[in-house]
Amino acid sequence: MDIVTMNILESTMVSLCREMGIVLMKTSYSTIFNEALDFTCGLADMNGDMIAVADYCPAQIGGMPLLVKSCLKEIPIREIEEGDVILHNDPYRGGLHTPEHTFFKPIFVEGEIMGFAVAIGHIAEVGGMAPGGFCGEATEIFQEGLRVPPVKIKKRGQDNIEVWKLLLANVRTPRVNYGDLRALIAAVDLGEKQMTNIYRKYGKEKIRETVEDLLLYSERRMRAELEAIPDGIYPFTDYVESDGIDPDRKYAINVEVHKRGGDIIVDYAGSSPQAAGPINATLGVATSAAYNAVLHMTDPSIPRNSGCFRPIRVMAPPGTIVNVDFPAPEVGGNTETHPRIVGAILGAMSKALPDRTMAAEGATHCNFVFGGVEADTGEFFACYDLEAVGWGGRSFADGNDGVDSINGNCRITPVEVYETRFPWRIESLAFNTDAGGAGKFRGGVGYTKQMLCLNDQIICSQMTDRHLFAPWGLEGGKEGGLGATLVQKAGRDDWQTMREAYNKASTSRYSNVAIKYGDRVRLVTPGGGGYGDPSERSREAVAEDVREGYVSAGSARKFYGYEAN
Amino acid sequence: MKFSQTGLYIESYSKCANCGVLIYEGDAEDARRMKRDDGKLYCSQECVDWKNDREKRKAAK
Repeated sequence: MDIVTMNILESTMVSLCREMGIVLMKTSYSTIFNEALDFTCGLADMNGDMIAVADYCPAQIGGMPLLVKSCLKEIPIREIEEGDVILHNDPYRGGLHTPEHTFFKPIFVEGEIMGFAVAIGHIAEVGGMAPGGFCGEATEIFQEGLRVPPVKIKKRGQDNIEVWKLLLANVRTPRVNYGDLRALIAAVDLGEKQMTNIYRKYGKEKIRETVEDLLLYSERRMRAELEAIPDGIYPFTDYVESDGIDPDRKYAINVEVHKRGGDIIVDYAGSSPQAAGPINATLGVATSAAYNAVLHMTDPSIPRNSGCFRPIRVMAPPGTIVNVDFPAPEVGGNTETHPRIVGAILGAMSKALPDRTMAAEGATHCNFVFGGVEADTGEFFACYDLEAVGWGGRSFADGNDGVDSINGNCRITPVEVYETRFPWRIESLAFNTDAGGAGKFRGGVGYTKQMLCLNDQIICSQMTDRHLFAPWGLEGGKEGGLGATLVQKAGRDDWQTMREAYNKASTSRYSNVAIKYGDRVRLVTPGGGGYGDPSERSREAVAEDVREGYVSAGSARKFYGYEAN
Repeated sequence: MKFSQTGLYIESYSKCANCGVLIYEGDAEDARRMKRDDGKLYCSQECVDWKNDREKRKAAK
């Protein structure tokens, strides 16, 4: 193994993936791309194994190998030509959820296909029963938007016009979707062009050998990390609070982590049967969540590629909340169930790895989606908006405050951009006092965003969680704060839940409520659980929390025995 | 996973009863590894063994 060349090549490829992401960010139309960065760019070899990836959205990083491999099962290598771009979003054949669109473009060198440039991005509007793609009341996939099997959106460098027309005829915002789809193609174009240059510089054989070495190197390092963890079977169960259809039913995510030498097997047997509502995860999500959890517990300097995933296996019985069967709905599986699976795996491993796990995080993206007709232009607008949460306390530090959930790594859209792009006024955006679970290391806090509707009408839907089940603490740490969604109708003083105001089954999952001019919506995001006995928290840390407003004087007294001046 | 005769749509989805991966009808590699046990389809002998071990562990509890 030529370690120097391997390191140079690995860094070059990762930089290229980051550059692909920057192109996507700068050329896209939607805030979900140019502000939230809800995408991932990578490179794959001709077998679909990921050889490099940029550090964008972890849910998509783990999902990428299965996505590309699934496509190659249906479009054989011999049918892929130079200049083709393949598009795919089908959740039942390797995909993550309907909005997640995967593009990949073959990299040809001297007539031979060497691999693929890949971009996965969350398209904000995909058709279906609700603007913005997250229909909290969907009961089948057909309500969740357009499902795209692996198809060539470009053939030999030319647009496949029929595919474009079909895609854009089925969404509410064709102009914006066109821009976002073009941005994804621009990303894979760049990846293909630059990777071809890299092949020309080093030669095909040298890169083939070096990439093989790189995957083996990642695998070896991952196995060494896993070997250091005590062997055993580690169980844990967590619950999703409802599916939006039956508000009184909870859904178990059951994990058994089997650690054997340098291998780890995550067995989800015993998880609840798939739900009627859209909280089901696909196999891609269940696999990606296991990878995500293991990456969080191991050395971050291990190169991220399919090599480091080789020691990880997933058992996700079909027809369950972690491996949905056609045609059940699935859109919330990737945003809500994914982080709950990661949390369950971290909870399972917390006894063996107390220094590398954490208490439960908020584990929701809030997924407040909306759309309507802009009064000034008459054009339809739609937005997928994600919000941040508090993370769990750790054995060595407080949880992060106001950070996107563990599978997103996304940014929240700045207030100024939000107000410019959409007819809302953000009246306040502030951290929630007492939302971080008490502990030796406090859970992170979520926040409250209050918005005033400035359009005649905005149609809103949501798919969130943690309105009923608070994030759990670890080692004596207390629960984190719950989330909430409240509405104040114009001319009224009281705040109501969506259930109260619009007769919805669930407060956290609903579709198509009409928010009118002058109505206000308040999104409260959950905090994280605390870690360790609160009585062991340093007095200085409690005093600072009270001074900064993270903890009230009453809670300081109740949980920490601290009397604030 | 079984495609229609025209190849234009999916007629049925087949998944391993243990690990949940799709099993493609007509795929040589999938056909070579696939096993049937207790009337269910498994992607490999490894998954049949895992399912049996799981049941034994459950029974022993």
